Amino acid sequence: MHAVRNIRLCTKDCLCLYVCPTGATDTEDGQIDAEKCLSGCRACVDACPSHAISLVPEEYPAPQEKTEEVKEILVDMMDKNSSQIELLDKIARDTDDTVLRQLAVALSKSSALVAEDFIRESGFLLPQGEETKKLLKAMLTENSDGFPVEEARRLLELL
Amino acid sequence: MDFNERLSAREKSILFSNLSKGCEKQYRVEEAKLFSRLAEYFSEITEEGDCRELSEAESILKEELEMFKGAKEIASANSDRGALRALTWGEKVSRMVGSIMNRYLKKGSELLEGTNIHVCEICGFVYLGDEPPDVCPVCKVPKFKISKVRR
Repeated sequence: MHAVRNIRLCTKDCLCLYVCPTGATDTEDGQIDAEKCLSGCRACVDACPSHAISLVPEEYPAPQEKTEEVKEILVDMMDKNSSQIELLDKIARDTDDTVLRQLAVALSKSSALVAEDFIRESGFLLPQGEETKKLLKAMLTENSDGFPVEEARRLLELL
Repeated sequence: MDFNERLSAREKSILFSNLSKGCEKQYRVEEAKLFSRLAEYFSEITEEGDCRELSEAESILKEELEMFKGAKEIASANSDRGALRALTWGEKVSRMVGSIMNRYLKKGSELLEGTNIHVCEICGFVYLGDEPPDVCPVCKVPKFKISKVRR
């Protein structure tokens, strides 16, 4: 587990620079150098007065199992959001009324976020989970026109 | 469930956007970009709807609102607290969106005159007004995650 800094919380107290045994915390881009960071060291995490540094795991436990019944209902709910987004996006593209466009854009965005939450809870909570890999493999097998094959293959290597 | 079979292109795009965010939160920059690229691909091949009215979106939302009770019962019966959480937030957001749609359909642009629209980036809560609340009333995230939608 290596350390990462949330730059929004960092109040530049610099204690992480003092305690880091390898100099990994002192970089020009505000991030902690993962190459230099000692896995599990956490000296900077404990020293930081603004709690801006945390450890990111390389490995995660398998997520909670989802039942078919829960997956089905969440995807059914998502379908409703998807149909609303289709209409709202069309309204946003076609209308000359700037107020209606703004409303349609906002409501489409809101509906997409709700839909994201539903699909995420149907087995895609952890991006590197089994369900994601299964889906990417199925898409690669199907190999539809224009499908970004290289991107999907690279993801399967990385995840 | 065979998700590749079951999900539409639009839904796949939504899923990959979410997986991209999940990687960003883990500071996995390359994976986040690759998932974004997949989201873009599915967004590009998504079919456009017909020219429609806001009232049609409202009727689909109403159908969705009627599904929440049964869906929450299924989540509870399966002891799935995560699904229950998503459905609880989703229902609150959808009810508020339903009320906004309804008011817009009655009052028209007047509803939004001299006011801004904000959307919570986490749960989708929609706020009409100039200054969003300090924390999102639905998911309780601090207000820097609630962003303005430009006109």
